[in-house]
Amino acid sequence: MSEPAPHLVISAVSKRFGAATVLDRVDLTIRRGELVTLLGPSGCGKTTLLRAIAGLSPPDTGTIALAGRDVTHVPPHRRNVGVVFQSYALFPHLTVAGNVAFGLKVRGAPKAEIDRAVQRALALVKLGHLGGRRISALSGGQQQRVALARAIAVEPDVLLFDEALSALDRKLREEMQIELRRLLQDVKATAIFVTHDQDEALTMSDRVAVMNKGRIEQLAAPRELYARPASLFALNFVGLSTRIAGQVVGGQDGMVDVVTPVGRLSARGAFQLGASVIVATRPEQLRLGADHEANSASGRVRSVVFQGSRTLVDVDAGAGASLLAELSGREAEVPRVHDEVRFAWPAAETFAFAAEASP
Amino acid sequence: MTDAVLSAPVATPAPDRERLAAFGFVAPSLLITALVFVLPLALLLGVSVLDPKGGGTSAHYARLLGTPYYLGVIWNSLRLGLLTTLIAFLISYPAAFALARARGPLRSILLATLFLPLAASVIVKAFAWTILLRSDGLINTVLIAAGIIEDPIRMIFTQTALIVGAVNIFLPFMVLPIYAVVAQLDSRYAEAAATLGASPLVVFFRVILPLTLPGIVAGVALVFSLSVSAYVVPTLLIGEKYPTLATTIAKAYLLAREPGFGAAAGVVLLAIAIIVVALSALLSREPK
Repeated sequence: MSEPAPHLVISAVSKRFGAATVLDRVDLTIRRGELVTLLGPSGCGKTTLLRAIAGLSPPDTGTIALAGRDVTHVPPHRRNVGVVFQSYALFPHLTVAGNVAFGLKVRGAPKAEIDRAVQRALALVKLGHLGGRRISALSGGQQQRVALARAIAVEPDVLLFDEALSALDRKLREEMQIELRRLLQDVKATAIFVTHDQDEALTMSDRVAVMNKGRIEQLAAPRELYARPASLFALNFVGLSTRIAGQVVGGQDGMVDVVTPVGRLSARGAFQLGASVIVATRPEQLRLGADHEANSASGRVRSVVFQGSRTLVDVDAGAGASLLAELSGREAEVPRVHDEVRFAWPAAETFAFAAEASP
Repeated sequence: MTDAVLSAPVATPAPDRERLAAFGFVAPSLLITALVFVLPLALLLGVSVLDPKGGGTSAHYARLLGTPYYLGVIWNSLRLGLLTTLIAFLISYPAAFALARARGPLRSILLATLFLPLAASVIVKAFAWTILLRSDGLINTVLIAAGIIEDPIRMIFTQTALIVGAVNIFLPFMVLPIYAVVAQLDSRYAEAAATLGASPLVVFFRVILPLTLPGIVAGVALVFSLSVSAYVVPTLLIGEKYPTLATTIAKAYLLAREPGFGAAAGVVLLAIAIIVVALSALLSREPK
């Protein structure tokens, strides 16, 4: 597969609000047809970056190029972007069809073409029969679809979603995530989602940019982001983990030996001797029983949480350290609270991060 | 998968019992309305068409609508109402946005300058304008003292004085309803329109103006009905040479002792106000 040309190129974009630096020299390149999520806690700059791309809040420094054109200081109405807002911002004085037609009308498209595009966009979001309705007569999920149809109808160069699914209830949101991803792939849209919901990020995107304090901490495919977090922040923000503090006592070939309250552990990473680090691993890497080739630790089971397809076991490993293990439903033996257990996990799936970077 | 979403219910009609309860709550105000508004209005209408010597008459209306002088009076009232409303709207619309954008102490101060004048009587405010505008008034005194003019400018008892005073006195009734709507306006609407390709001008005419229309309609209805029927303002600021329906009504009752004619003039004035308010309400109807 040949590499498509860059479609959206963000270079060294910074933005300050008063004394606060909201975006700190952000670089991000997105290919045509890619679905990318900006993931991070509130205040990390993800919405500001999205608004900079839309032209609603231009950056102080840096450049933004869209479809081969420098748009850094182009006003939003000359950018050809589509935005789906968290509140949807559907025009209450227009009908469903009137909302979807708005972008084409203000561009002066002929009426026949507008009608066709509106029908197509509404059919795409399965609301073809509701064109004549008032916005206030729609449910939240339907309004979400109209907002999407309105943004898609103008065939924008990039679709921007600002927490667009967060107003829906959980079940509807999960359904919409899958449906929306399929729809965007069908129309070959380039899209950027802003969210603080890690499940949404993992479900919807080809790549996820984890943002913290105005910077992109890691840009990676969901699977890689989860399996190979680049920082303690990325590790904490996506998925669950066991985290144990310790000191580096040796290491070679990208691996370090760390002394921790639960014993000596091996982890990926390169640190100087004596460095304070956090050693971490994902819960599903932990297996019951000892293994001399791998890291292991023991303790007393504090809680067992059954979650259907998986069971989470929280173990008190002493000295303030705890282990979090995920056992799949296929595992025959599940420990009970107060049991003494030993877990082992592969050193190759254990990471060491600098301790002072702790959020 | 989405069936549950697509068949979401629209508001269900309230059961009869709830409607009955709702009617119960409204009943007292309905009763008061009937006593203090409907009854006097019916009397007014009756007096305007009844001949004291028995039988009905349309003479009062014929005199009002058939005499050039009284047609001029009607036009004077209309003109006062329309000009005051138009100028008040042109000042209030941007002012409402400025008010909605203001923050902190500035907002409190601006709101106070709007509300405080409402506490003063119309007579006080109209009289204050006569003090400012008369030949030996504040404005002329200052201008002469500063050497800008030699002789006082004639301002009081002109149509300019009338409109300036009326606009000033009725302004809060235009600003406040528009401000109430503008303050609630989500800035995302304008942003969404911009990203869809609308220039700032198009955003204004296709989104901002339609969404603030209910406030405009309320302001227009209030200011027009107040200014078209104003009595104190024209009496103090322009006097005899600008007779309006309101001053004609007063004269008919107090001087000429023609209650039938006064009543007819009242009905005409009421009809004008109702027509304008109804027209503006039509404008703000939601789309189907």
